[in-house]
Amino acid sequence: MIPAEQQTKLIKLTVNGETRALSVETHWTLSKVLRNECGHTGTKEACGEGACGSCTVLIDGVAVPACMVLAVEQEGKEIETIEGLSKGGTLHPIQEAWLEEYGAQCGFCSPGMIMSTKALLSKNPDPTVDEIKEAIGGNLCICNNYEHIINAVRSAAKKMAKEQGRG
Amino acid sequence: MKRFNHFDATSIEDAVSLLQKHKDASYVIAGGSDLVGCLKDKIWMAYPEAIINLKTIPGLKEIRTDEDGLHLGALVTLTEIAESDIVKKEWAGLAEAARRTASALLRNIGTIAGNICQENRCWYYRYPNKIGGSIDCVRKGGKRCLAVPGDHRFHSIFGQVKKCIAVNPSDTAPALIALNAVVKTTTRDVAIDAFFSAEMGSQSTVLDRDEIVTEILVPHPAPGSASAFRKLAYRKAIDFAMVNCAAAITVEGGNVISARICLNGVHNNPRRCQESEALLIGQPLTDALAKQAGELAVAEAKPLLQNIYKVQMAKTIVADTLMDCAE
Repeated sequence: MIPAEQQTKLIKLTVNGETRALSVETHWTLSKVLRNECGHTGTKEACGEGACGSCTVLIDGVAVPACMVLAVEQEGKEIETIEGLSKGGTLHPIQEAWLEEYGAQCGFCSPGMIMSTKALLSKNPDPTVDEIKEAIGGNLCICNNYEHIINAVRSAAKKMAKEQGRG
Repeated sequence: MKRFNHFDATSIEDAVSLLQKHKDASYVIAGGSDLVGCLKDKIWMAYPEAIINLKTIPGLKEIRTDEDGLHLGALVTLTEIAESDIVKKEWAGLAEAARRTASALLRNIGTIAGNICQENRCWYYRYPNKIGGSIDCVRKGGKRCLAVPGDHRFHSIFGQVKKCIAVNPSDTAPALIALNAVVKTTTRDVAIDAFFSAEMGSQSTVLDRDEIVTEILVPHPAPGSASAFRKLAYRKAIDFAMVNCAAAITVEGGNVISARICLNGVHNNPRRCQESEALLIGQPLTDALAKQAGELAVAEAKPLLQNIYKVQMAKTIVADTLMDCAE
């Protein structure tokens, strides 16, 4: 038997720049904590085994499946979810590109796709189609909307380049 | 998942002593992409009481080279290896193997040590507890293997080890074997050829319960060497290999002077193709010779009814990987 006091840990979790103290059970995954404790239900969980990418969040700028990492191990890390993208009611260029290029059909994969795209574009601002395919290879779209999603990523890259005065 | 004790190890010694304290009921966690899946599905008959986090140990995330070769810290992620210019230049087969493992998301958390220490794959062995109860197969010490009479389309084509036909699914393992790496653990240095051992029962490696991989050393290739990696999977973007192959060839004066070829996904352990290697020595690497090496690699294959297709795949992938080295 495990003593009750060791089943939970008090951690400080930084989500979208906001730090909060949470009491989490050791076996809770990050996606569970984000959804149930932080109320960030934009992070979707579908397969629960890291194979679909719908729960993708950024930890210190790196895209990871939140259903496969333990919440207790995320103390001191910068976590970014889909809720952190728009600022004061203005959409992020990636989200705008998603709207314009019809990147979402049912929309369930979009939060994960957009977070993967953000990680890709911050590392590689002008990706080729093959690089895009490799970067979002772990994100599945059940509507088979990949053509539009790839267009949306390319359009997002152009938008962000223009915004930063490179385009 | 059920509850467990979670410890953040502060040093390697700390992690080892925690493992010893919770003998037989503890696991170390690095990336967790294999372990968390096993915990979620409760595939083991006994649930672990302690999980020991290695990510809090400093100094295990370094890629560096010196005279004896490439040193990869145990916690270096597959993304870091795939994107490292040092690795891509001299150890191309390893960089490609890391690039082709799973998906971009899993490569971001998956570590090199975790990739070679992952458990063998079989859908009966890993059958989730939540759908009718996990299965007590031979690999878990039970009486029978369900894959042999059941669905074994992805299983071993080179026979059984301890009546089990689950395959080793690692992509980086064959690359490290082709490149003749050394696995450094808390107690010893193990040559990669001797590292994988399904013979031990329900684990894939020779590691003791309280032993942790700390570093992987890949020696510098000799002048005139080239290495390559190929993988065949259902979905290129994410799936485990049906068959994969890595090869490292050294050519001098137009003739092959040394060769190491390794297949994986075809047997309980990664399988070196020593007959094919011997064939290449002293000859120029041509298309016809590579095809012959492919034939030799599967000469001893004993496929089951549903996985005969893998023999053809293995034969072809050996020839193709060798020709990649020749380019």
